[in-house]
Amino acid sequence: MAKPMSKVSEAQLIPISFTLNGRLQEIEVQPHELLLDVVRERLGLTGVKRSCDVQVCGACTLLVDGRPVSACTTLAFEVRGRSVLTIEGLAENGKLHPLQQAFIDHGGFQCGFCTPGMILAAKALLDENPDPSEAELKHFMHGNICRCTGYKKIIESIMAAAKTMRSGK
Amino acid sequence: MLRRFRLEEPESVSEVSELLGRFGDSAKIYAGGTELLLAMKEGLVQYERLINVKKLKCKDVTLESGQVTIGALCTHHELETSQAIKENLPAFAKLEHNVANVRVRQVGTIGGNLCFAEPHADPGTLLIALDAKMIAEKSASTREISAEKFFIDAFETALEPDEVLTQIVIPAPTASARNAYLKFGYLERPSVGVAVAFNLNGQISSMRIAVGCAGPAPRRVQEAEALFEGKSKDDAERNLAEAGLLAGRAAEAISDLHGSQEYKEHIVGVLLKRAFLSALS
Amino acid sequence: MEFQKEVEIRAPREKVWRFIWDVDRFIACVPGCKEAKTIEEGKRYAATMVEKVGPFKVEFPTNIEVLEREEMTRIKAQASGADNKIGSRMKLDLDVNLRDEGDKTVLGFVAGVDILGKLAALGHGIIKRKADQVLDEFAQAVKKQLEGDS
Repeated sequence: MAKPMSKVSEAQLIPISFTLNGRLQEIEVQPHELLLDVVRERLGLTGVKRSCDVQVCGACTLLVDGRPVSACTTLAFEVRGRSVLTIEGLAENGKLHPLQQAFIDHGGFQCGFCTPGMILAAKALLDENPDPSEAELKHFMHGNICRCTGYKKIIESIMAAAKTMRSGK
Repeated sequence: MLRRFRLEEPESVSEVSELLGRFGDSAKIYAGGTELLLAMKEGLVQYERLINVKKLKCKDVTLESGQVTIGALCTHHELETSQAIKENLPAFAKLEHNVANVRVRQVGTIGGNLCFAEPHADPGTLLIALDAKMIAEKSASTREISAEKFFIDAFETALEPDEVLTQIVIPAPTASARNAYLKFGYLERPSVGVAVAFNLNGQISSMRIAVGCAGPAPRRVQEAEALFEGKSKDDAERNLAEAGLLAGRAAEAISDLHGSQEYKEHIVGVLLKRAFLSALS
Repeated sequence: MEFQKEVEIRAPREKVWRFIWDVDRFIACVPGCKEAKTIEEGKRYAATMVEKVGPFKVEFPTNIEVLEREEMTRIKAQASGADNKIGSRMKLDLDVNLRDEGDKTVLGFVAGVDILGKLAALGHGIIKRKADQVLDEFAQAVKKQLEGDS
C-alpha cells in the first residue's frame, strides 16, 4: 500500500544530529540545503570556501568521518549521525596540528584560499597512509588546486608534517 | 543554492520503482549525487522529488561461482580498495582508483556513474570489454542487460523509467585472461578511454575491445577485434596499427573541447596499442 | 552550427510546396514541435519546441518569421525561442529550396542553428548531434508524409 504523499509545497525539515569538530550539533535542515552553506552561514565556520562550486578545485573540502568530501556538492542532511571536521577543528587546545605548523614553516600557502581544503585533504591522506611516496601524495591531492604556490611547497609541507606525525607528534 | 525538492527515502527496490512510476520525470534517483547535484546546481534539470536510494542493500562485492558481483551503491573508493576486485579485476581497481578526484571517489557510486551515462566517464568502457551484465530491477521483475547494450546515447541508458540498476556482474577472469584499460585526458574528465580483454593460450581468443569518452556512449568495436582473434601474440602486434585505425573510426568521435574527431581517432589508436601491450605484460 | 540536408520526394513540386504551407501537417513533421499557430498567414507562426537529451529537457516557445518567398522554389525563414527555466535561447536560420529531378522533387535545406545560454554547457558536440538528428528525422517525416498519401 502506498504511503500518503506529502505535498511538494510544504517545507520538509529533516532533523539531523552530528558532531562538528568534536561537539554535538542538533539542527534541522531542508533537503536542498548544501553542507557548505550550512557550515558557513548557519554554523559560522567560514574556513571552508566556495570556489569552483563544481567539486573540482577542493577549496570546499571537509572531512566527514575522516574522509574528504566536496561540501559544495554535498546535501547537508547527509552528515546525520556522522562526524564533520573543518579547519577550525584541527588545532587542539590552541596548539596547531603538525600539518598547520608545517604549512607555516615550509611556506605551503600564499593567499591562503585553498589552504583549509588542502590541509584537510592532507590530513585524510596521512590518516590513510602515514608514509606516502610523492606519487601517492600527488595522486591523493590531485583534486586540490592551488593557483599561487606551484605545489612544490605544499608537497614539502605535507611530507614534513608526515615525518613529524610519524615520530609521534 | 539548489531549488527546493522533497526527499523520499524508500527502503526497497519496489518502493523506488513505484515512486519512479508514480512521479515520472518530476522525480529522480539520488545516490552519491556527484553528477546529479551538479546538473541541478547549473539549473539544467529540476526535480520535485529526489529519491535517496542509499537505504537499499546494494553495497556488496562478492566473488561466487566464477562471477564478481558488485552492488550498484558501491562507491568508487570502496571499489578501488576492495580485496576481491584488486585480486580478480586489478584493471578495474586501477580504473576506479583514477576516477575523477578523491572527493568524488568518496561519495560517487558505480551505479550512479553508469546510469547518468556521461560520455566522458571510465567504468562503462572497461565493463563492456569485460562482458559485464547490468542487473535492472523493478517492482515485479528483474532483467539482465549486457554492458554493450546498456549505453544507448549520451546521458541515455537502456533502463526503463521505473527500473533500478542494482548490481553489476562481471565474469571472473581465468588464469589465461588478460585485460587492461587506458585513458587519456588533460581536462577534468577523460577525453578518450580504451579497454581490451582477451584470453591468451598460445593464440588470442575471445578478444573484446571497447572505446569510450570519444563518442556519445562507450561502445564495443567488433570491427577491430577480428584482427586479433585466433592470432598469435606476434601476429596480433603486427595488426595493431590497422586495428587502431578501425577502432578510431568506429569510436564515433565527436569534435568538442576535448579535441577534434581526427585527434580523438588518433588517440584511440595509440591507446589501443598501449592497452594491448599492457594487457600482455 | 550549420547543417545541410537534401531529401528526394516522389511527389510533384507543387504538392511539396503546398505541404510546406499546410502548417499543421508540416509542423507535425518536426520532431518535438507541438501547438503550431498561424499568427499571420504566410508570414508569422508560433510553435513550441520540446527536445530532450537524456534527462535534459528544453521547451522553447518559438516564433517563426518567413523573410523571403519565391513561389514554388524557395523560402527563407527565421525562428527564435527562449527557455527561461533553463536560461537558454535558440535561433534558427532556415533556407528551404525545391527543385525538380525528373518526376521527383528534391527538397533541400540549409539550417543555421545557434544555442545560447546554459544548454551550451552540455557540449557543442552533443548539441550538434541532437540538432542533426532532429533535422534528419524532419526530412524523413516530410518525405514519408508526402509519399504516403498519393
